[in-house]
Amino acid sequence: MEQVETEVLIIGGGVLGAAVARELSRYNADVTLVEKEADFGWGSTKANMCIVCQGGDALEFRPEYLRSRLVWESIPLMEPLCQELNVPFKRVGELALIRNNEELIKFHKLKSRAEKIGINSHKFIDQGTLRHMEPNITREAIAALYDPNIAIVDPVRLTIALIENAVQNGVKVMRETEVLGISQEANQFKVETNRGSMKCRFIVNAAGTSVDKIARLVNSDDFVLYPIRGYVGILDKNLGDLIKHEIHMRPDAPGQMNILTPSVHGNLFFGTTMQPARRGNCSTTGRIAEIGFQNVRKIVPDLSEKDMIHSFAGFLMFRNWELGWHECVVQDSRRIPRLINVCIGYPGVSAAPATAREVLDLLRKEGFTLEEKPHFNPIRKSSPIFRELSEREQKELFARNSRYGHVVCRCETVTEGEIVETISQGANTMDGVKFRTRAGMGRCQGGFCTPRVVKILARELGQPEGKITKKGRESRLLLYRSKELIEAKI
Amino acid sequence: MKYSEIDVAVIGSGPAGMAAAIKAKEEGAEHVLIFERQEQLGGLLSQCIHNGFGLLYFGQDLTGPEYGHRFAEKVRDLRIEVMLETMVTQISADRKLTAVNSHEGTIHMQPKSIVLAMGCRERNRGQLSIPGTRPAGIFTAGTAQRLVNIEGFIPGKKVIILGSGDIGMIMARRLTLEGVEVKAVVEILPYVGGLIRNEVQCLHDFHIPLLLEHTVTQIHGEQRVEAVTIAKVDKNKMPIDDYKQHIECDTLLLSVGLIPENELSRMAGVALDPLTGGPVVDQRRETNVSGIFAGGNVVHVHDLVDEVSWEAEIAGTSAARFAGKEEMEKEKKIILKPGRNIRCIVPQTISPQHDVTLYARVKDMEENITLKVGDIFSKSLRVVKPSEMLKIDLTYSQLGQLKDDAVELSIESVKRRQNG
Repeated sequence: MEQVETEVLIIGGGVLGAAVARELSRYNADVTLVEKEADFGWGSTKANMCIVCQGGDALEFRPEYLRSRLVWESIPLMEPLCQELNVPFKRVGELALIRNNEELIKFHKLKSRAEKIGINSHKFIDQGTLRHMEPNITREAIAALYDPNIAIVDPVRLTIALIENAVQNGVKVMRETEVLGISQEANQFKVETNRGSMKCRFIVNAAGTSVDKIARLVNSDDFVLYPIRGYVGILDKNLGDLIKHEIHMRPDAPGQMNILTPSVHGNLFFGTTMQPARRGNCSTTGRIAEIGFQNVRKIVPDLSEKDMIHSFAGFLMFRNWELGWHECVVQDSRRIPRLINVCIGYPGVSAAPATAREVLDLLRKEGFTLEEKPHFNPIRKSSPIFRELSEREQKELFARNSRYGHVVCRCETVTEGEIVETISQGANTMDGVKFRTRAGMGRCQGGFCTPRVVKILARELGQPEGKITKKGRESRLLLYRSKELIEAKI
Repeated sequence: MKYSEIDVAVIGSGPAGMAAAIKAKEEGAEHVLIFERQEQLGGLLSQCIHNGFGLLYFGQDLTGPEYGHRFAEKVRDLRIEVMLETMVTQISADRKLTAVNSHEGTIHMQPKSIVLAMGCRERNRGQLSIPGTRPAGIFTAGTAQRLVNIEGFIPGKKVIILGSGDIGMIMARRLTLEGVEVKAVVEILPYVGGLIRNEVQCLHDFHIPLLLEHTVTQIHGEQRVEAVTIAKVDKNKMPIDDYKQHIECDTLLLSVGLIPENELSRMAGVALDPLTGGPVVDQRRETNVSGIFAGGNVVHVHDLVDEVSWEAEIAGTSAARFAGKEEMEKEKKIILKPGRNIRCIVPQTISPQHDVTLYARVKDMEENITLKVGDIFSKSLRVVKPSEMLKIDLTYSQLGQLKDDAVELSIESVKRRQNG
């Protein structure tokens, strides 16, 4: 790689890095974003409950925290952003269930807190109305606090859309580019990566779970972060109508949470535990899965383990071990000029729109002149999604390209046309295709489409099937050709 | 072919779909159409290159492709219409059907009757919540079977197989023949999940270690599977910490059960039996939705392909008669109820006017038992196992003795008489 020179280097292509890149693309600036994985949004961005417009939903958002302000300021920004980027956004509202007096008092406190900061939309719902709104939830709930702001998105698609729009407006992106070292030289940084070195004047460190590690490379780690692992389970689409709102129940044990929510794709997600864990160890354990199910059954007693289709763990970076009560890191480095460290911890997706603006303010303070681009285009067009189209649109699409008639992923009705299109837009791994098109995300979890997607990837990328990976690097799927091992033995 | 003229539409062309279509045609349905999402007829038969098919149906030991070929030839000879690489995406309760393919785009029709023959899919890691990391190298046994037998790839060199379903055991042998080291087949139960003949011919004959009462408790590796932790389990199937071992491998295959594939059935409002995972059917294999029939593994997972075809033939016959507007007698319905140690029964309702064959599975293995259907049938058996389907033939004269509109099928343990 030739040495890259750029004005602003964004480290990390998660939702925060992508939001900063897109915000910067409004201005005349030379911006490059590097992502260490094979695709965008594969860290904490992909491993969460997909809930946005938070802030009025928990007492942990104390008014004195910057983190709270960024979450609150993002509430009105998220829907217009999703509209500009043509990604799904659904305002479902939250019902925080109240089972006893103690909880009622807590939620009264929450409501008055929300009102103090100008969120006046919270309402108490009586048992009868609650039953009507959510007939399948536990009879133990005697009332609920309704937060109509809460919405759901697809965070990975949002991130990819942000990146695509940023690229459309001149930002450069580099994947599979990991930052290994940073040094200061006169008025610029020299950044060493696995693909060569780069020079830049400003750094926005949005490296997610590695944000402190990256800061440490340049001795700017004037903050400490603790990794907290959260566990999420996904339930079959067949249950999609079981609940309509995001439902929150106060956990009965510390270190747990209990949330059940619809997703924009029709599945249900449930989140259960949050525990300190070794960073990067996204493995799930049997015990947590069990607790998770016990918890979610307290919300909807009829749920069955048979309806589970997938589960995963994701990381949140907190500034103290105590869950919830923490501040974020969105600040200029106190020691190193022209370096901004960005980490929300939780809820990063919710806070992304305002955080991006905050970062721009910090860059201005650090001496970066931002001059608006005359031809910034905020609209990103979505490529066609067959299952979401009307029949007339499906016919038009098919008439243009017959590959849109070939269904490759049966569970999610993803056509070959969509997969080919997404590969042309940059997907180059199985997980890339999966997160961008949903092929392999359904109830059979790729049992049917895996061999077919491997073939399409190989054909479109001009590579042998044996080189196709699940998620880049050493994650090849098919290690040998048939008879290869036998021949080696003979 | 005019879409408006279709008498019987069959969804799926595996051993069930082809058998149903052939029978429907033979019963006089003029326009029979098969939908198949793959490139050729046969469904999963084309990747089952091992033998053991057709012993009952043809009295011959055939491979999967051979078994499928015999039906496919008949499909051709009978001029049954076939739409390949076509995915049925929707059916409604009034039998409006939508399909899509890359030749015609979206296709609509309203056949006079429909046979559901979509078969089943494999349970996967997500449903089991197998703990651990998410590396490449975890496949269901059936996906691996396709990769090896159709696509020409070997997923890895050192393999652990979790679950001892038939496909898992067959893949253990297949991979061994390909030079792969199959380190173990790990089964949580005290006996294998599949057929005994597969345990003997696929595992024992090839000296593949079978670890009964064991399970995988952790998957290791960030990029590619590097190892799994295996533990012995106690009577409640809970892992015992003292009996854990770390086994290096690059691939984990799962053969942990099959689920009838009923997404389309749900759309049409077909009632499903939570015990089988398939539609509730009567002895003619009609579902609760008039004109929609079902046969084969979509109804319940069978042990043998021959039984799949036979059951689908019943559905095909009934669908042809329905399409021919043959008057269905308003018959008294008797509900079959699973009693002691019975997991599920198919069909779920029967008519007392006809001979019928019942298929049932037990919940737990039990020795020296009597199988009973109310007071009208009883049979002593040495052993019953969940992996072996029970088949009970009842005559209409036996059924005529029933007084109630429900009857219980149960397993009773035989108390041995003490000597002296």
